[in-house]
Amino acid sequence: MERYGEQYLEERKLVKRWAGPIPALVSLLLTLTVFYATWWIFQDPRGLMRMYTPYIGYMYCRWWLIMMIWMVYIFNFWPFKRKWLETAHPLVKGTVLTLVSVAILLALIKGFFEGFLGNYGLAYFNPEQLGKLDGVTSFFAAEYSALAILMFAAIASWLSPAWVVAMENAPWKDLKQPARGFSVLVVTFFLSTIVYFVTMHPHMGILYHPWQYFTSIAPPYWENFADTVSGNFHVSWIMCCTVVVWLVETIWQRYPFNLIKNDWLRRFATFAGIILIALAMHFFLYFAQELTWGEAIRGTRRAFSPDWRWLHVGEMAIFFLVPALFLTFYCENWPRKFSLPVNIAIRTIVCLVAAVLLYIVYYKTSHLFLGTQKGFSHPQQFPMIPTIWLINIWLAHHWFMDNWPAWKMVPKTQVEIEAEHRAAEAEISMIRLTPKFVTGMGAGVVIGVLIYIGTIGALPKLYAFIDIIPKN
Amino acid sequence: MSSDIKRRDFLKGAITGAGVGVLGAMGAYSYSGARKALFPKVAKKMNDIGTCKSIKVTNISETSWFDNQTLVGDVKGAGGLLVDQYSYNWPPFGNGKGLGKGSYDEGISLIKEYLPHDIDKAWEITQKNSINPDNAGGYSCLLEVEELDGQVRKFLLDSGWSYKWMDESFKREGIDKMLENREIEALFISHEHFDHYWGLPVTLKYDPSITIYIPEGFYPEGKQYIKDAGHTGKLVEVKNGLYKHIPGMATYVFPIPIICRVYGEQSLYFNVKDKGLVSVTGCCHQGIIRFAETACKELKYENDQLHGIYGGLHISPFDDWDPKYDDLVISLQRYGFERIGCNHCTGVLCAKKFISAGYPVVEGTARHRSKDKAYLGNGDTITFG
Repeated sequence: MERYGEQYLEERKLVKRWAGPIPALVSLLLTLTVFYATWWIFQDPRGLMRMYTPYIGYMYCRWWLIMMIWMVYIFNFWPFKRKWLETAHPLVKGTVLTLVSVAILLALIKGFFEGFLGNYGLAYFNPEQLGKLDGVTSFFAAEYSALAILMFAAIASWLSPAWVVAMENAPWKDLKQPARGFSVLVVTFFLSTIVYFVTMHPHMGILYHPWQYFTSIAPPYWENFADTVSGNFHVSWIMCCTVVVWLVETIWQRYPFNLIKNDWLRRFATFAGIILIALAMHFFLYFAQELTWGEAIRGTRRAFSPDWRWLHVGEMAIFFLVPALFLTFYCENWPRKFSLPVNIAIRTIVCLVAAVLLYIVYYKTSHLFLGTQKGFSHPQQFPMIPTIWLINIWLAHHWFMDNWPAWKMVPKTQVEIEAEHRAAEAEISMIRLTPKFVTGMGAGVVIGVLIYIGTIGALPKLYAFIDIIPKN
Repeated sequence: MSSDIKRRDFLKGAITGAGVGVLGAMGAYSYSGARKALFPKVAKKMNDIGTCKSIKVTNISETSWFDNQTLVGDVKGAGGLLVDQYSYNWPPFGNGKGLGKGSYDEGISLIKEYLPHDIDKAWEITQKNSINPDNAGGYSCLLEVEELDGQVRKFLLDSGWSYKWMDESFKREGIDKMLENREIEALFISHEHFDHYWGLPVTLKYDPSITIYIPEGFYPEGKQYIKDAGHTGKLVEVKNGLYKHIPGMATYVFPIPIICRVYGEQSLYFNVKDKGLVSVTGCCHQGIIRFAETACKELKYENDQLHGIYGGLHISPFDDWDPKYDDLVISLQRYGFERIGCNHCTGVLCAKKFISAGYPVVEGTARHRSKDKAYLGNGDTITFG
């Protein structure tokens, strides 16, 4: 039977061409070079295409991420054949797959959202339709429509991988491609549409004057809870969901949800767990800003406004994803020699420290080389764009190009595949709900709460000590 | 079970539990009402800036550009709102190379020899080399502060953009003569944006030695322009924070990033006897609420009352909208302003929303190319006190 890319990522063995950290460093250097060259060509406000307007650039950046998720996670590289995936040169493979992802991206944005939905359903998806409104300039028509389209992407970039990671492609797990891919695509697109209508559509409904009372809830239902009518409140937790999905999939190795033996219980627990962890992040990162910058003031602009604070929660979350993906893609998910919880704890701490460092470096220096502006809260300052742009390049490099040139792809033998499965099962089976484990867990909860208390106590002092952007 | 295995099980459980504990506490406490107990109580600083009897503002020009579509089209064509303003190729720094390909050095070299004495010639040259020069207007206002003893002191806030438009506007309001007669003590530049600052030679044509106050954060091109425009007087770079000028008058510099690669804005506070605090802004990029909150935290003022506000409130400068602006319209009532004169980057839509919400907006006359009576327009005046 013809094989496509099912299990390709799991069944490929990436062999380092050089020992030690050299492959990771070479890959980092190479991908950063590609990042900067492509940033200059496509996004940089001083560069060639200047798509960082910011929403237009963000829309393409965000949907490109989803295109790759669709191609790799949902369709398993279908219709590309397994033999081609294994034998084509990574450069050829990378070029072809990237071009295909961009072609689908353009068809989706120009054809589906702007052309179809924007012309026959909701005018705000199409800049030309918006431009017909009195007082809406062509620039803002393009920005508003890009905002709506990218908001859809934000939701899809959580739900699309979540169905694979949490729901394990159920109930279409055993279908062949493309039947499985289309099934998952349709259900995740459907769910994204529902979430879009109850989170971002009310935001769009009050974006225009007068408020569209008859077609959206105005003012939105979250106004009092979130202290803003802006949909950024939802951007925040949805962004955290996106980040948590990938943390669960990469550095957390789906732990602790993979301890649950019952399939459906495990799936729903993982799906719900991702949302709950994301909500914890969502609230904590907002609180962290209150502790360092002071209480938000509704109605003001920039760093003190609740709407920007919620947006910044999503921005902070994405800084956490960057080191997590680097650790998984280029450091073989280091460390692997301890028990699963210990490995995960070390990776989490490493990623947290790296995220904080990246955050500081970004805000101290990005305006010097990315063409963005100094400061945290500029309305056109979107760290999500460069970070996701870099992640996109890593995804293309890791998924489409097998980490070439620092790694070489060799298909695993059946023996290796089976040994790996046994090792994974053994790793989980080593975690037993013994009385000592339960006692340890109880003690751990107390320690966790103490860590939280210590963190919120230290945050204001730490922030004052670091002084990321000196005021004088 | 060996003690080693028991110890390992305990460790695995403890690590898992720590994760649960941290995440649980994050979720349960971080957005609860109890968290507010941890916010520091900020004591009001009660800085005394003195008092004045009244402040009269004459709107010389609030129309920074005449057509939103044209200006925003330029912004879009040049690469968006983050593009360096000196590279748009707008006047007076046009170099003839087209949209988005301008530079300060090339542009100024074409007109420098005519500044500030022959701004007509300079404008004639730049019109040929710039993008949409006829769309340029400018923002500027005259501030007449009456001291408690009745003496009136005059200041300019900003110098607009188009040499041609600003010169006409100055003449219309008699600013040219006031400058020539040295009646105006100083020019405050709110921020480095083209529409507030690039018309500097128009002020200098009539008084090249006028004292200029700029906020901290100007880029090198902006500082060089003061020299190239022919300024011979004192230049003060005001540091971030409060700066007292005369009794009842102070400026406040906010260190904030602004579109088109600009940093920092300077706004003015006036403490009017028996009335309260009056705020006058160029664009108010820091946000009117933050401006008001800063006053509440930093200043001592009459009756503890925020009396009035004048200027561009920077809410929807291109008549764009965002739900966060509705947050502002909804929240402004908390501050109890008694007189609001708004224009320029406030956005006509926003001014109308203010009026609909019942705020005390002082409407204008919509003369001299101002768009709507909801704005306190060109040639209109507002007095506080």
